[in-house]
Amino acid sequence: MANMAVSRIKREFKEVMRSEEIVQCSIKIELVNDSWTELRGEIAGPPDTPYEGGKFILEIKVPETYPFNPPKVRFITRIWHPNISSVTGAICLDILKDNWAAAMTLRTVLLSLQALLAAAEPDDPQDAVVAYQFKDKYDLFLLTAKHWTNAYAGGPHTFPDCDSKIQRLKDMGIDEHDARAVLSKENWNLEKATECLFS
Amino acid sequence: MGNCLKTSSSSDDISLLRGNDGVNSSYNETQQALNHQVEQYQRVFHPTSTSTPSIIRQQEHLTENEDHVKLAKRIGLMQHLPFGTYDGSSKKARECVICMAEFCVDETVRYLPCMHIYHVHCIDDWLMRSLTCPSCLEPVDAALLTSYETT
Repeated sequence: MANMAVSRIKREFKEVMRSEEIVQCSIKIELVNDSWTELRGEIAGPPDTPYEGGKFILEIKVPETYPFNPPKVRFITRIWHPNISSVTGAICLDILKDNWAAAMTLRTVLLSLQALLAAAEPDDPQDAVVAYQFKDKYDLFLLTAKHWTNAYAGGPHTFPDCDSKIQRLKDMGIDEHDARAVLSKENWNLEKATECLFS
Repeated sequence: MGNCLKTSSSSDDISLLRGNDGVNSSYNETQQALNHQVEQYQRVFHPTSTSTPSIIRQQEHLTENEDHVKLAKRIGLMQHLPFGTYDGSSKKARECVICMAEFCVDETVRYLPCMHIYHVHCIDDWLMRSLTCPSCLEPVDAALLTSYETT
């Protein structure tokens, strides 16, 4: 990889390690390989959001042209959020695309992603299904997001009603994640979810 | 924010754009380098310019020309941004935020209209992708265009 990219990432890595946020356990970063091209980030779900109490893992790939082009970031931990794909973890955030600036760093990217969790933009969605639920049935969105945070990111809120519906579908031979995804999409309507799966 | 750059005192802007005395000698060199760069692009973009163009080819040339003009304009704009040598007196900027290395005394740095400074090779690479300041996102071309057209 280009020299500038490596030397910058090394400095940025140190910056994250020295940051206050790492002391507060709100962001974390670690190396995946020795060539500094791939890193693993972690952000804590912000307080007063359905993601509170969860830890979300991110895949960070540093292009050879860094810092002239943004790092490629996606969520590895599954998450229910209008601007993040519930299937692939792809993120829709302007600074990771056209509004990237060379002065941004790993630390500011992680903090921006944390801010995105606190302030969704449903009018510029990455996941149309989640965005529709966010706008149309906000209560169900909150419930679903908390449930996903509990199931995948270690969040504290459990929803026995959701779990029993997922169990019903599992009993029919459906994979747990597929069951959760279909029920979430169908606003936890078991009949509609079953119809969707078996038609 | 930003309004401070749109002053009508164009004489000031132009003197700034021409750089200071220490810079003038190398200015001609960069101008020559620029001409050379444009020539190179011309060769790449118009390999068959001697053959008789069909109508379709003319259209192709139009868009190619547009790209060429855009590129040349951008390089032209960049060459009009003042540069100088870092003398260590700047209290604010100690490191180039693009490569994150500290400025060394006598290194060549470029000044953007927002007064942020960078290594010339770092900022020129960035400006080829985006005509904004990497630190404050202030557009570089808006402040320059008026002055550039009159020079």
